[in-house]
Amino acid sequence: MAGILIGFVIGIPWLGAVALWLTRDRNSSLQHALAVGFSVAAGIASLALIPFASARTVIDLPMGRYFGNLTFTADGLAVTLTAIACVVGSLAVIFSVDYMHGEAQLGRFYAFVLLFIGAMTGLLLSGNLLFMFFFWEITALCSYALISFYNDDPKAVAGGIKALIMTQVGGVGLLAGALITYAALGSYQVADLLAQAGTMPANLLTLAAFGFLLAAAAKSAQFPFHTWLPDAMEAPTPISALIHAATMVNAGVYLLARFYPAFEQVPGWKMAVTAVGLVSALITAFMALTATDLKRALAYSTVSQLGYMVYAIGVGGVFASQFHLLSHAVFKALLFLAAGAVIHATGTREMARMGALGKQMPFVRNVFILGALALAGLPILNGFWSKELILEAGLSAGPQWAYDGMLLGAGMTAFYTLRMTWLVFFGTARETFHVHDAGRAMKVSLGLLAAGTLTTWLLAGPMSETLHGTLPFHSIHSLSLFGLAEEIFTAPATYLALMVVAVGLVIFWMVRHQATTWRENSQKSGAGNWMTILSRESFGFDWLNRQVAGRTVQFASVLQKTQTGILSWNVVGILSAFLAILLYLVWSVK
Amino acid sequence: MFEPFLCLLLGLVAALCAYRAMISKHLLPSALYLACVSAMTSILLYMLGASEVAMIELSVGAGLVTVLLVYALSVVGEDTYDPTSIIPKPLAFLLVTVIALIAGGMAYSSATQPSISGDVLLAEVLWKNRALDVWVQVALIFSGVMGVLGLLSEQVQTRQTQKSAHRNTAEGLAVYAEQEARV
Amino acid sequence: MTLTILNAVLFSVVLLLAVGFYGLLITRNLIKIVVVLQTLVKAAIMALVLAGNTSGNPGLGQSAAATVLVADTVVAVVALALAVQVRRRAGTLDIARISTLRG
Repeated sequence: MAGILIGFVIGIPWLGAVALWLTRDRNSSLQHALAVGFSVAAGIASLALIPFASARTVIDLPMGRYFGNLTFTADGLAVTLTAIACVVGSLAVIFSVDYMHGEAQLGRFYAFVLLFIGAMTGLLLSGNLLFMFFFWEITALCSYALISFYNDDPKAVAGGIKALIMTQVGGVGLLAGALITYAALGSYQVADLLAQAGTMPANLLTLAAFGFLLAAAAKSAQFPFHTWLPDAMEAPTPISALIHAATMVNAGVYLLARFYPAFEQVPGWKMAVTAVGLVSALITAFMALTATDLKRALAYSTVSQLGYMVYAIGVGGVFASQFHLLSHAVFKALLFLAAGAVIHATGTREMARMGALGKQMPFVRNVFILGALALAGLPILNGFWSKELILEAGLSAGPQWAYDGMLLGAGMTAFYTLRMTWLVFFGTARETFHVHDAGRAMKVSLGLLAAGTLTTWLLAGPMSETLHGTLPFHSIHSLSLFGLAEEIFTAPATYLALMVVAVGLVIFWMVRHQATTWRENSQKSGAGNWMTILSRESFGFDWLNRQVAGRTVQFASVLQKTQTGILSWNVVGILSAFLAILLYLVWSVK
Repeated sequence: MFEPFLCLLLGLVAALCAYRAMISKHLLPSALYLACVSAMTSILLYMLGASEVAMIELSVGAGLVTVLLVYALSVVGEDTYDPTSIIPKPLAFLLVTVIALIAGGMAYSSATQPSISGDVLLAEVLWKNRALDVWVQVALIFSGVMGVLGLLSEQVQTRQTQKSAHRNTAEGLAVYAEQEARV
Repeated sequence: MTLTILNAVLFSVVLLLAVGFYGLLITRNLIKIVVVLQTLVKAAIMALVLAGNTSGNPGLGQSAAATVLVADTVVAVVALALAVQVRRRAGTLDIARISTLRG
């Protein structure tokens, strides 16, 4: 049964992708209906898969000697994230019915969205490293294609290329890790790596561990690759919600969580993971303080929250990170979609031009505030529970300086969240927009996500139970809801964190008139000038990332010159290679 | 002791035909020389004891492919083109000679070993040991049939596509007028 | 060094391969390239049968040769269909001129 359901969650979206590709944009309401139908079916299949979670390999197809078997394992980690991917995916598609209304080339849009959902579930469920890499690359391709969806906009194309190159760097890390594993253990199976990591030569294990860390950092937009995610915000907003907040960027965190037992003992690895998480969380939280583009601000906060998850894995809190991943996927998708409703209504992403929209869009305002409070970590929303769990794990097992940094990050999160909400929905109207509240399809997805934000923390008990029962190599203790509540409410750390959050909110309230004028890119002096200078170039890392992307593109165009398209020269190349092989053979025989 | 010399002679004739096919200015003689190469190859295969493969080679290589080539020529007509090579001929000659010498030298040692001749039952090998090949061949033949259909069905839709494809270029117009005139 | 059927055939194979490679390098006409490819494949088929004979596994060599023969015929057919298409759309079969076409 689990095998059939795994086939469904990967097969249905891909079937839908093919079907939508074939519709050829003749009938847009048919396209909307098909996309919603396929994605909702996949969402239902993914929810039905949860009760079948087990550590057993469900599907095992032999693929010949060199690739290992194509295996799928629906363990707790995989089914949870699969459910997030498919359910948030279907909500994003439902939202798109209103958001993408009247857009051209819907077939291409929906086909890539569905291809992405299928590839993401494949990535999560795959038990074979090589096929994991294969699905990983498909998600990168879909991400690129959807960021550059408006392909007549040079900014969108540049953002797509940047995201593609950055995630390819990560892909190289994953591939290297997979090949090293094969070289050392003779197997691509994830389960073998987890079971036999101790028998690998120490230097190879270290290489693999840092290869996977590179992959995770690039995919999850962590330091030093954190600049591609804000540039990816040129994508249509439902894509930002689905791929760049709730699913694909979580793949890196998933990778770290998945292989944590194998690399736990590698010297320096946990410290490196902790540091990457800490630096990402702090830098991007700072960037979010000055951002005026609504979606970029949300993107910075996404990187920052992903930093929290990476940090949690670094200090050994695998469950805390996955729990925060669940919460974050729900409330960040909610925030992005609500922002999408605002952008759809006003036609701009500049928060500096908005203001006082709350009266005209009460529904959107309410759900956005709900999401913002969850992001800030206020009780009893889901973000509160998971963030407290992370901080507690950090306090008990991690270095003190990292904990202090994360605490500071929590305060900054509260500050920028309130600033964002204030700029969009309250204060004075800086421009007059004749806006309308969200459409019906938008309200459906926003309402469901808001309900999720209020309630997903209730799943802590069953989720920890499932992870505990189905991950033999991770030592996750199961935790009932009351246990969680007790653990959080009796710890002094909780009250400390809440105090920091409150201080962040109060400071914003005191400086709100200056804070609303902070600009990410402005040249003029004034309040927040030093902040502007620091954040203008992402602390200089934007320059670094631009260099990487630019050099790659340059190199590609040099290579392009070798492709003359003239057959004779190609044959010369082929024959020269043949000659080289012959010479090598002659030489090696002697 | 007569057979090896016959083999050598056949091989030389085949290579000569191949050379003529390559340098011929027109395409039709090229196709006919190719048929000759095919016939020589077929005899050589027979002398190696591969009678079934020789039969297929003769019927397909000398028959079907030649017919298709001639047909394709009748569709596109003789084409005038620049006979000069894109890459320098001495370079091509050097590259090919070096490769041929090395490859021949390497294969020579293995080709002198005595062959083990016994009852060769191609059908048995093909159906029992290499059954996958047979299915691949079936699929290939199917795609070949599709290719032939593509070649044949050209005639029908070409009027339309030609008009749209060549509308903008003077050269295209000239080609079009020329073909119209011929029709 | 005695002349046997085997090394006589080997000599033919190498000669045909050389002519074929040379032709592939200097030919500019698409249909001619199909012809040249055919001669190359004839050499490959003979080489396969030859290798089967010398390695004591003649049936295997012959079945591989048969497969290559079928595959190659299909390649020739499809290549010819494509060449005809190219001639129709680009107005030329010269690979140097075809390669300058864009879009």
